[in-house]
Amino acid sequence: MFAILEKTAVIWELELRKMRHDQTDLLIRAIQPVLWLTIFGSVFRQFRELPLGEVSYLSFITPGVLAQSVLFIAIFTGVSLVWERDLGQLDRLLAAPAPRTSIVLGKAFSGGVKGLFQAGVIFAIAFVMGVDLIYNPIYVLAVIGVVFTFGVCFSSMSIFVTTLLNTRERVMGMMQLLTMPLFFASNALYPIEIMPRWLQIVSIINPMSYVVEALRALMITGDLSRLPVALGGMAIATFIFIGAAALAFRRVGR
Amino acid sequence: MSRAVSVASLSKSYGRLKALDNISFEVDEREIFGFLGPNGAGKTTAIKIMLGLTRPDKGHVEIFGIDVQSKPDRARENIGYVSQNLSLSNEITGYENLLISAKLYGVPSSIRKSRITEIMDLLGIQDRANDLVKKYSGGMMRRLEIGAALVHRPRLLILDEPTIGLDPQVRLVVRELLRRLVDEFGITIFLTTHDMGEADELCEKIAIINSGKIGVVDTPTNLKRSVGGDSIQFETKAPEKALSILTGKFGDTKPIAKNNTISMIVNSAETALPLLINTLTRAGVIVDAIHSHRPTLDDVFLKYAGSRLTDVEREGDYSHVKQVRRTFRRMR
Ligand SMILES: Nc1ncnc2c1ncn2[C@@H]1O[C@H](COP(=O)(O)OP(=O)(O)OP(=O)(O)O)[C@@H](O)[C@H]1O
Ligand SMILES: [Mg+2]
Repeated sequence: MFAILEKTAVIWELELRKMRHDQTDLLIRAIQPVLWLTIFGSVFRQFRELPLGEVSYLSFITPGVLAQSVLFIAIFTGVSLVWERDLGQLDRLLAAPAPRTSIVLGKAFSGGVKGLFQAGVIFAIAFVMGVDLIYNPIYVLAVIGVVFTFGVCFSSMSIFVTTLLNTRERVMGMMQLLTMPLFFASNALYPIEIMPRWLQIVSIINPMSYVVEALRALMITGDLSRLPVALGGMAIATFIFIGAAALAFRRVGR
Repeated sequence: MSRAVSVASLSKSYGRLKALDNISFEVDEREIFGFLGPNGAGKTTAIKIMLGLTRPDKGHVEIFGIDVQSKPDRARENIGYVSQNLSLSNEITGYENLLISAKLYGVPSSIRKSRITEIMDLLGIQDRANDLVKKYSGGMMRRLEIGAALVHRPRLLILDEPTIGLDPQVRLVVRELLRRLVDEFGITIFLTTHDMGEADELCEKIAIINSGKIGVVDTPTNLKRSVGGDSIQFETKAPEKALSILTGKFGDTKPIAKNNTISMIVNSAETALPLLINTLTRAGVIVDAIHSHRPTLDDVFLKYAGSRLTDVEREGDYSHVKQVRRTFRRMR
């Protein structure tokens, strides 16, 4: 067990070092959420019919856009894993005395850190655009925790899927196929109440909804009544995907 | 002397293709052991099984007496692996790569720094330690790759085509380095190559491998001696006819025809050459050109694998180099 944590830290460090040398990559990835907030947010602001209570639409979708950008970045964890395997870079890790699970965890944790960068960018933009965020340090810390866990969760999911699919071409297509429904069949852009019945059911089993709900409570509304449910849903999804990724990955390089 | 590697009746198939067909061999400690074979012979497959990265259909591998199947991580602690591809992360510095390797293999933090400096000195890349690897030349990458495999002072170094894609000068540097590792540090080396000169010069023992089978294992000197005579090659426009005339007449290996060139092994070229030309001329076969030489490993290959390494190799070699180049480019 100790060996797993120790080697996880090494793989994580490797990924963080790569990230440090390639900051342009992080910057480019920050462009998309900026566009979402500025364009989408201001266009949809006109719709008054959405049952949002006292919250403005821009405030409503800020947590959604954050979740979405973390989702997009986490999905690439698996893609880069297949890429590294094809280049032969993964062999170096596989040939080392490191448990397979530590490779999965190290990569997934790096997905979590990338998510935090997105959170930083979005907090900054939201501040500039005058979104009324909660800046209470305890709430902000909780947001950091949620974003990190979410990054780990979806990185694991992407490692699981890519490990099953095996070829890079299939992986690219599948990722497109997965991210869209995860995003749109959730409460990221509109409240669950206005969705058609079948979509409501989908969005209830969609882990993305729980993340958005947790973020919305912690960043905008401050209403923590549903927070335990949201965190619970998220924790379950994270455990399932980490387990699935670790199991699937055991077959790699075998 | 104790055993570094012991491989017993290993087989591995991919679908209907037999990548390895019941191979066995042993590597003694402090020796350089080479797998010599053309593209697709099964060299990389054998290495992956030795590292526990591929599961064999049948057979058994022990590294210093540790069973790789049941205790892969224990076995891997003793191995430094340099893969056929460039496997380092090119978006971080050379120093960082070695640091990560040291941590991966559990080198204690107190000696990490000095170990890495020592290796960078040994490889002559200390002044580029803090450059990103993507700015390295191919030769420097290869050396760094070997360095990363050495940080934990492995007892066994496994190298898959260590000099592929390098220019002759860098090849020489790498070969000298490997020699020094054995002489000064007492490391055992297992390497694969399809370069006969390299195998001849570097290895104490060579296994000839082709289509997943090991033809023979011995020292280069014994192998060449076992060819037992001289090698003759000649050109003619009627190779089939020449073959049918010569088969059974000279030496005990069968003459082999490739396009218009016929290769054969004879006991002594001095007596065989005139006889050969006379016999062929009398039968109406004209010999356009002829030459003879002392046996090389290529002749050994002909004897034990039934084809010339240079023939199997020629096209394959090129596509291979291209592939390595592509990898380089992709990594940039
Ligand atoms: N994962 C795989 N799936 C299917 N076939 C494979 C796989 N790996 C290797 N092979 C096949 O097994 C045979 C041996 O391959 P291997 O890579 O061991 O050859 P090699 O001796 O290393 O050749 P090279 O000099 O080109 O590196 C080849 O025919 C190859 O196509
Ligand atoms: Mg190979």
